[in-house]
Amino acid sequence: MTSISLRPPRHRVQRRVVAWWTLRALCGTALAAAAPLAAWFLWESSRTWTGPVAVAVLALGLLYAAVTPSWRYAVHRWETTDEAVFVAAGWFVRDWRIAPISRIQTVDTSRGPIEQLLGIATLVVTTASAGGAVHVRGLAPDVARASAEQLAEITRRTPGDAT
Amino acid sequence: MTAEYTSPAVPPPGAAPPTAGPPTDPPADPGSTSPVADLPVPPDGAPLVEETPPPDDGTPWQRLDGRMIGADALRVLLSMAPAAVALLVVGVEPDAGVVWPLAILAAWGAFKAVRNTVRWVTTRYRLTDDYLERRTGLLVRSHRSIRRERVRSVDGEARLLQRLFGLRRVKVGAGQMNTAMESALVLDAVSRAAARDLHARLLGEDRTAAASTVAPSTGAASTAATAAAGTPAGGEGPEAAAPTGAAPQQLSRLRPRWVVYNCFSVWGLLMAAGLAWGGWVTLGMFGFNAFAWVRGLADWGAIGVPGTVAAAVLAAWALGVVGLAVNFATTYAHFRLERTTGDHGAVLRTTQGLFRTQEINRDENRLRGATLSEPLLWRWLRVADPAIITTGLSVWSSASAILPRCPREHARGVLTEVLRAGDDDPLRARLHRHPAGALRRRLVWAVAVATTAIAVLAWLAATTALPHAVWWVTGAVLLPAGCGLAVAGYRSLGHAFAGPWVVVRSGAVNRATSVLRTGAVSGVRVRQSLFQRRLGLATVTVSTAAGYGAYEAVDLAAPRAAEFADRALPGGVAAFLEADPPVR
Repeated sequence: MTSISLRPPRHRVQRRVVAWWTLRALCGTALAAAAPLAAWFLWESSRTWTGPVAVAVLALGLLYAAVTPSWRYAVHRWETTDEAVFVAAGWFVRDWRIAPISRIQTVDTSRGPIEQLLGIATLVVTTASAGGAVHVRGLAPDVARASAEQLAEITRRTPGDAT
Repeated sequence: MTAEYTSPAVPPPGAAPPTAGPPTDPPADPGSTSPVADLPVPPDGAPLVEETPPPDDGTPWQRLDGRMIGADALRVLLSMAPAAVALLVVGVEPDAGVVWPLAILAAWGAFKAVRNTVRWVTTRYRLTDDYLERRTGLLVRSHRSIRRERVRSVDGEARLLQRLFGLRRVKVGAGQMNTAMESALVLDAVSRAAARDLHARLLGEDRTAAASTVAPSTGAASTAATAAAGTPAGGEGPEAAAPTGAAPQQLSRLRPRWVVYNCFSVWGLLMAAGLAWGGWVTLGMFGFNAFAWVRGLADWGAIGVPGTVAAAVLAAWALGVVGLAVNFATTYAHFRLERTTGDHGAVLRTTQGLFRTQEINRDENRLRGATLSEPLLWRWLRVADPAIITTGLSVWSSASAILPRCPREHARGVLTEVLRAGDDDPLRARLHRHPAGALRRRLVWAVAVATTAIAVLAWLAATTALPHAVWWVTGAVLLPAGCGLAVAGYRSLGHAFAGPWVVVRSGAVNRATSVLRTGAVSGVRVRQSLFQRRLGLATVTVSTAAGYGAYEAVDLAAPRAAEFADRALPGGVAAFLEADPPVR
């Protein structure tokens, strides 16, 4: 086992995010199982093979919903400094991302309906690249807002062309 | 998802002049979220292209060139010519199968002619002291204006008909619109002299340089002059280049033997199919049955099915090769790659085309790097496809390919010159090999995929009527091929740093070497799956606002991943390094 020589980011996220990941996994499982289940109910001659497919999809989905949220929670960490935003995420494939402050274009916080229910928020940091935005999921809303404001403030002070 | 809070984090325009990164990049648009969002935004926040008329200063409006009408008259005549020849000269029986295609062809020609005439009637343009303006449209009037200092490119192209009448289609780019792969403003068509004049007035180049590029047919005469004026390319920035109005520096031109590298491709078969079908239909119109002619060529029954198939494939392949060769020759005839210097810094310009001429200008300030791809089948010939990595251009746009497929050494030399990286020579840098774990990872994957396929086929053979030969033949092909690709993929892995450049190479089938300026890196990402963790590997992705947006160093030694990230993103990673790195 060889790990990369980056230290983990300093902050963990709210435990409640495990519930959000679990819900998302269950919704995904339900969607994936919907097609074979519908075929099983509507089309009797297909039951010999749609039955096993539906069972397999449900079993894998439930396993995913049971295992990955806590795994993600154990991995998920974040940190902001005066120079960069540093986020670790993932489960089977771990993912460390560093976005320097001088390249940040926008800093947003976003809260979906379920996130609002659970009292968590997501910090979204956008840079000018096709790599996509950096997401920090599962922050307490006031922490997310304070970090966003702080990042925007640092970015304003930092010379850079955001490219 | 509801965005409840947004703070634009880009410094207010003008407050913080760009100090880092490549020179003369204006601040990026805070609201822009497109994948390649590294675009110039005017300092005063005004849009690049305005749809409302600017103040009128009394400059007279100009029309498009009247010779358009002549070109369209000729177009109508030409589109009717096949019908005339078929019906009057050859005397084909006018039944529905013949008349309809001919009628559609003629109608299409007439439609285009009418459309062009309407455009000529309704379009006016003018160049005032501050703006380039264009009014157009019959039912929906549009008024478009670009501030002159925002104009980044003036590209001219001409189809055969337009060339015959001395016309040019002028595309004016203001930077922003290139992302959507469209120009800010198109004038279709103006005279060659007017195009030259627009180019000179908007980009401030001297007349001789403009003349030599707008009129490719006179290229041979000006080539000697431009070749003599080549300036040595060193580490100097675009501003330090030759003064405004200098003769263009020629970086490359077409060598006739390149046609050999560009006429073998899978697309050849598709082209052959198209050519054969087109030929069959056309000849059929004149009452000639090509199918019967081919059938009469040889006694196909005696040759047998395998022989016939082989002959068909061979004929199609030969036809495709000829088609691609002709296509390449007409597209890339008179090809030249030059660097010219205008008011806004240096521009990389390609001019090409035999019948349809094309000129593309690329702002050198947007250049971030280059990619050299070597397809597996061409590697033994040392041939490569060069491309540039630049912001504001789609990777699918033809503008990123600045050279056709050509010998690798030539491509390297030209790209190094284009990047002005002569001192560091990143494209010839010695690459660090990746650890043996990367080879093991690829071999395991290859064997796993091949065995799964074999197992599934064997199971099918055991339970269904599938012959047993299928699974062992598949295995005998898949296993060695997979392992071969695994080794090829491992051997192509590599990375290096050369001066301000980061170099990464990967790809089994298409080995791509990408060179990117570290100043253009806008973030790093390290990924490690559990398998990679066991093998001591990690993949580092550097993201940028240009080209594909992300370039990967695949399967680095895990302990070196952070070091690589730190060198690719200077200063951004150091704070996150482990205090005591693990023993290697």
